[in-house]
Parts: sequence; C-alpha cells; structure tokens
Amino acid sequence: MNKKRICIAASALALGLMSGVSASAAETINFWFPTFASADGEVTDEEFWNGVMEKFEEENDCEVNVTIVPWDNYEEKYMTGTMATDGPDVGYLYMEMFYDYIDNGMLTDIDSYFTDEQKENYIYYDLGNLLGGQYALPVVVGNPRILVANMDILNEAGITEVPKTLDELVEACEKIKESNPDVAPFMQDWGNAHYGSLNEIYWPFFWSEGGQIVDDEGNLTIDSAEGLAATEFIYSLKEKGILDDTCTACDDTIEPFKNGEVAMTFMASSNALRVDTVNWDYSAVLSGSKDAQTFVAADCLVMFDTCENKDLAAKLMAYATSAEVMSQFHKQVSEQPPITLDEEYEGDERFATLFTEYGDNFKSLPVFKSASSMYDQLFKNLQMMMLDQKTPQEVLTETTEYYNSNLS
Amino acid sequence: MSRKQKEAMQGIIYVLPSFILILIFCIIPIFMSGYFSLTEYNVMKPPVFIKFANFQKMFQDSYIIDATKNTLLYVLITVPIQTILSLLFAAFLAQKMQNKAGGFLRSVMFIPVIASSVTAGTIWRIILNTDGGMLNNILNFLHLPSVNWLGDTKTSLLSICIVAIWKNVGYFLVIYYAGIMGISKDLYESAQVDGANKIQQFFEITLPMLKPITYLVVTLGIIWSFQVFDLSYLMTGGGPGQSSVTLVMSIYNSAFKQYRMGYACATAMFLLVIIVVINILEDRLLGGKKEEKR
Repeated sequence: MNKKRICIAASALALGLMSGVSASAAETINFWFPTFASADGEVTDEEFWNGVMEKFEEENDCEVNVTIVPWDNYEEKYMTGTMATDGPDVGYLYMEMFYDYIDNGMLTDIDSYFTDEQKENYIYYDLGNLLGGQYALPVVVGNPRILVANMDILNEAGITEVPKTLDELVEACEKIKESNPDVAPFMQDWGNAHYGSLNEIYWPFFWSEGGQIVDDEGNLTIDSAEGLAATEFIYSLKEKGILDDTCTACDDTIEPFKNGEVAMTFMASSNALRVDTVNWDYSAVLSGSKDAQTFVAADCLVMFDTCENKDLAAKLMAYATSAEVMSQFHKQVSEQPPITLDEEYEGDERFATLFTEYGDNFKSLPVFKSASSMYDQLFKNLQMMMLDQKTPQEVLTETTEYYNSNLS
Repeated sequence: MSRKQKEAMQGIIYVLPSFILILIFCIIPIFMSGYFSLTEYNVMKPPVFIKFANFQKMFQDSYIIDATKNTLLYVLITVPIQTILSLLFAAFLAQKMQNKAGGFLRSVMFIPVIASSVTAGTIWRIILNTDGGMLNNILNFLHLPSVNWLGDTKTSLLSICIVAIWKNVGYFLVIYYAGIMGISKDLYESAQVDGANKIQQFFEITLPMLKPITYLVVTLGIIWSFQVFDLSYLMTGGGPGQSSVTLVMSIYNSAFKQYRMGYACATAMFLLVIIVVINILEDRLLGGKKEEKR
C-alpha cells in the first residue's frame, strides 16, 4: 500500500516537474499597449489583444503577456514600468516620450529586423526614423484634430459650410453670437489638467500661422513672429468674447458639443464619430496666414533594449501591425486609417478622403529633449494668458527662458 | 542571562519588526534621497555627483518658488481653520449632543476622512464646477454671481483648501472629542460654583486641558498640509498656470515627468528641512510647557 502511494506521489512529482519544464520552455514576451476601446465598445482592449495574440502564440510557440496601460499618467507608468525587471519587450510610445528613451539607449534600432518588402508595405515607416535611427514602428497614425461644427447652429446663423480659414472661423463665431446667444460659438478646454489639449487648442493655430516648435538642432523656436501671431490670435478669441471668460475651467468640449451647447470645437476624428446627437460636419484643417496644418497622432510600437529575444519581438511588432490584426483593430476597437498598403479603409464614409486629400496638412509633434515638460510649461503659461495674467509675448518668452535654463 | 538583560532582549524583540520596517521604508530612503539630491540622476543612467548644483538651481526655479509659496499659503489657511473648526465641533458635540444624534453626527463627520481623495476630489470638482456646479447654483439662487472656482488663479488654491478642511475636520474632531471627554467633570462643577459661564469654562478649562492634543493636531495638520498632493493633482492639476502647484507635486513632476530624480530629491530634502524647522518652532511654542507640567 505504502509503495503504491510512493509510486503515485513520485509520478505526480515527475509530471509536475515535466509540465514545469515544458511551460518554462515556451518563450515569454511582454506586450504593452494603451487603451483605445470605448466603454460601450464591441470588445475591451484586453479581450481584443489577448484574442489576436492566440494565433501568434501558436505559430511561434511562445506566450505573449498583454498589459493594457491606461492613458492616465501614461508617461509615469511607462517610466516606472520600464525600470522594473518585468517591463515591456514591445511597447507603445508617443512622440513626446521618445527623446529620453532613445537618448538613454533604452530602445532598439529595429531597421535590420524588417525586410524591404515589409518596409515598403508600411505607409508611415519613415515616421519612425527618429534621432538617427529606426527606433519606432508607427502603429496609430491618424486621429487628426479637426474642426467639428454643429450644422444646425451654423445654418441658423446663415452659414452653410464649416470654416476653412482662421478668419472664417472668427466671422462664423460672430454670426453665431448674434443669431444664437445661448450657445457658445467656439469652445476650447483650457481647464484641462494635461498639456495634451494643446494638440487641439494650440498647435493647429500655431502651425497654420507658420510656427515651428524646434529647429533642426533641437533648439526651441516657439518665440517667433509666427508663434506670437498664433498666440495673439487665440487671445483675441477671448477678447472678442468668442471664447468664454471661464474657458480655464472647461476640461471637456465633447459633452457640451454633443448636447448642442457649442457650435464649433476642435476634436480628434475618432471622437467626432462618437457624436451621434447632433448634425455635424467638419473642416479637416484651418488655413492661417502662412500654412494649413493640424495635429495628427503618430504613435509607435517600440522594442526595448532589454528584450532577450529581439527576433521574436520584431515578429510580434510585424504581426501586431499587419493588415490582418489592424483591420480588426480598426473595426472593433478604434477607427483609424490603415497603416499598411494592403489594408483597405473601411471606416466612416465621412472620413474616406480625409487622409488621402489632407495627408500633407497633418503634422505630428517633433522629438526633442524634455518635450513633455516644455509642453506642460507652455500650457500653464497659456492658461495664465487666458486669465489676463500674461501677455502672448510673455508666454513665449518665459516658456523659452524656462526651457533653456531648466530643461534643455 | 540576568532578568534585566532578558527584559531588554524582550523589548528589542518587540521593537525589532517595526524598527526594520521604519529603517527600510523611512530612514534608508531619507539618506538615499540626501545622496541623490547631490547628483544628476534620471533613473535610466547611473547618478553623477554634482555637489549642490540641484539646490542652486532649485532656488532660482520659478516653478519651485511658486510651489513653495502655494504650499505655505495652503498650510496657513488649512491648519488654523481645521484646528479651530474641529475643536468647536468637538466641544459642541461633547457638551450639547451626548445622545444618539450626537453619535450619528460624529459618524457623519468622519465620512470625509474615510472617503478616498479620488472620490472627494471628483465630487468636489462637480460641486465647484463653474457652469452648473452646485455651489454656483446656490450663489445664483441668492442673486450672487458665479465664481470660477477651479479655473481662476485667485480661487483655485482656496477651493483645494476648502476640500482639505472638509476632509480633515472629522479626523481631528474625533481626537478632540476624546480629549474633552477625558477632562474631569469636577473642574467644570468647581468653575460653575465659582460663577464661571460656559465661555469662560471653555477658555479657562477646556482649552488649557487640551493643549497636548492641540499640539498633536497642529503637528499632524502641518505635516499633512505640507505633503498635499492628491487633491491638488486631482482637482486642478496644479493650475491654472502654477496657481495651485504644491511642493510635493513639483517633486512628483520632476521625478516622473521630467525624469530629474536628483532634482526631485533636492526638492524633497528642502521640504524635509521646512517641515523639521516648523515642527521645532512649534515644539518650542506649544510643547515646552507640556514637559514642565510633567
């Protein structure tokens, strides 16, 4: 009896050890991706990525640990996460984050892991060429910040088309103020806690007036005649009563727009598609005195230098950005334009020509040292301007001085 | 081993677990922070010793100067108000509400203490909302103009102070309440016989007897107030502009947003010095006589 028990126990132990050996034999790779799925969406981000990774795991005899990172405090989470031993092998960064990771040698140049055929298939492959190396593979290129207008309010004011220039915007706002004093003609979220709002409320104006954030050497160049023109234009919106005095308390423009309380606002194209309560139309870009540009996201997959199996990580990057996965992602999770030539645009018809027609008018943020901190400082100074406590010139001068003495 | 040695050993064994935890999580980090404050360190690369360069830069940094001013203002507003309010509420509950309603009120006033800062911050953001916020609706009902509570540099820090006071009063109230209940009734009866009215009793008996508790309440209040971060971060993000940025928030931003860990540690050491100095001063003012009494 005792011998029998000992045999069973030994067998169980051996099986356990064997299963342990077989489990540890499978390569494990950590994949970090941010949240994109809406709360009432078809699938959650976890469900989507865990689902699509099953095939990759089978084909490559590996295990992909998917971690979905919420956008709140994204940079802080990444910094602390990458310092940990269990950080990402393949992750997702946006432009403001790149400098420090590249400068500190934390990212791998992925160029040699991709064939020429693969590179040609990527529409935006070159956007990942940063600071002299291919450190990034663009994965979400889109979501341009467009001017969205409530056409019922515009029509009521005798306006039939969404403004296409900065002057037309001002003119339309003045008409709306007269025809419908109960609605805000134009709204900007100057009360937002994060500088990311600049993508909607500042950079489109700044670029359209011909401004440049940094020069080729990475020096901050916001304090220029063009930058001043853009900053003065925004300040004039408040002086003219187009922007409300309480705009520094406003941290969301989408809900008021959905509720018909706002005639026009800038928002991400994917957010515009979630507005189904008003009759809206859009203008892709507003022309300024020198140019016509708006912000577009160019977020990328990256391979961390700590990754042990770089070939497998590169395969994972290629798989995650393949037409097979991205077409599902764009359908089920977040509607974005294709990033590869072999994927067809199947999104909303209203945006069918947005990327083909206006591609040249879309601009992403440059990569330079302490970009996030500079944006944060600029945003805070602009808030002070909107509270009449700084002049447009002071905003640009003080931000540049602060950056040069503390951050550069 | 003698009995004395055995007792000493027992004492060490009792204290050891806490001591190890305090050593690992408090004392060693303070010394590490002190070391890193003298270095240029971004976490990704090894620290480089730069002597006092971080401190020199810190005292010229407008962000840190604003954060210091805001933090001091925050302490000056919250500590006295929350101390006085909690004392008054505690005295009222101890003297007038020794019944079920009093118990209920004490529980209600303790709710903000156990509510998380995230919940409190979110609720108060709604209450203080400029358009349609509850507080502005009340003001409008009274034919008063709306206030841009969180979106104006003049009121953003004040709004955070209001929420902090609301959140802390319940905690200090309980401490004061326990202190008042511990004061001998004989003292009040003797005073009554001598013809002292309620106000005189409060100032001549209650207040002096509560001095050790006031010392505790003020000390805790000052330390907590200097450490303010969560409410400011949640309600205003330090804005508009830099009007509600605090020292701890500037430490957080330097460390985790700008990756300047050495600079963040220098600011942390600066904060430590401020708190220690203020506590020494407070000890001289409030704590000295307490020792004499013993």
